[in-house]
Amino acid sequence: MARVAREVVEKAGVNVDQLVQLLVTNAAAELTTYYYYTILRANLIGLDGETVKEIAEIARLEDRNHFEALVPRIYELGGRLPDNMNEFHDCSACPPARLPQDPRDTKAILQVLVDAERCAVRGYTHICNLTAGKDHRTYDLSQAILNEEVEHESWFSEFLGEGPSGHFMRRGDTSPFVSKFLK
Amino acid sequence: MKTFSKAELKQYNGCNGPTYIAYAGKVYDVSSSFLWKKGIHQCSHEAGQDLTPDLDQAPHGPDLMDKFPVIGVLE
Repeated sequence: MARVAREVVEKAGVNVDQLVQLLVTNAAAELTTYYYYTILRANLIGLDGETVKEIAEIARLEDRNHFEALVPRIYELGGRLPDNMNEFHDCSACPPARLPQDPRDTKAILQVLVDAERCAVRGYTHICNLTAGKDHRTYDLSQAILNEEVEHESWFSEFLGEGPSGHFMRRGDTSPFVSKFLK
Repeated sequence: MKTFSKAELKQYNGCNGPTYIAYAGKVYDVSSSFLWKKGIHQCSHEAGQDLTPDLDQAPHGPDLMDKFPVIGVLE
């Protein structure tokens, strides 16, 4: 635990135990999403599915990065991951992104993907709101993750025909915002 | 439609039974929501209460409440 790092956040008026719990539940959401997206990606086949596969894969890899970026902050603040993987899965901040009943229904898969991203966008906005001006490191991390989640949402939303994402193809490595926490 | 007092609503905190919350005078049953497991939402909000002020500051609009059945009104 980074004792002083925790103390200054407490002193700033943040309920650190609640914040740590939020970080754990969001870390659980990221890792479980990585798992469920693996299944969704595997089922994105055919003309429609293959078109979506690349962005689903980028979102999948970036969600794993989010998990890895969150873990150090949990421990710095005196928290820990649950010993039991089942417990970790069940405490997720977002519902499981399960394969739809008809795995060949690309639109239904896209709906699962966009719902998962929207849950994440709300979750990190909540953490940003709690930490803004009080816990600079957690805010910076959550904001970096939020930037990527917003892009994911935009990509899937665009495929659903909800409107243009306005985004271009990613250039270079994955996680342009979160990568600084992974080095 | 049933009228709940605040004290009555408090009993439906999701710890040992249904999970109810109040918003804008209506009482909603959110027991089926993944995001209200054990009566807690986002580690920050507890069920069995009037969450109108909380929801006004939440990163989502009241439209999400439409997914849940209204089972009463708050006194």
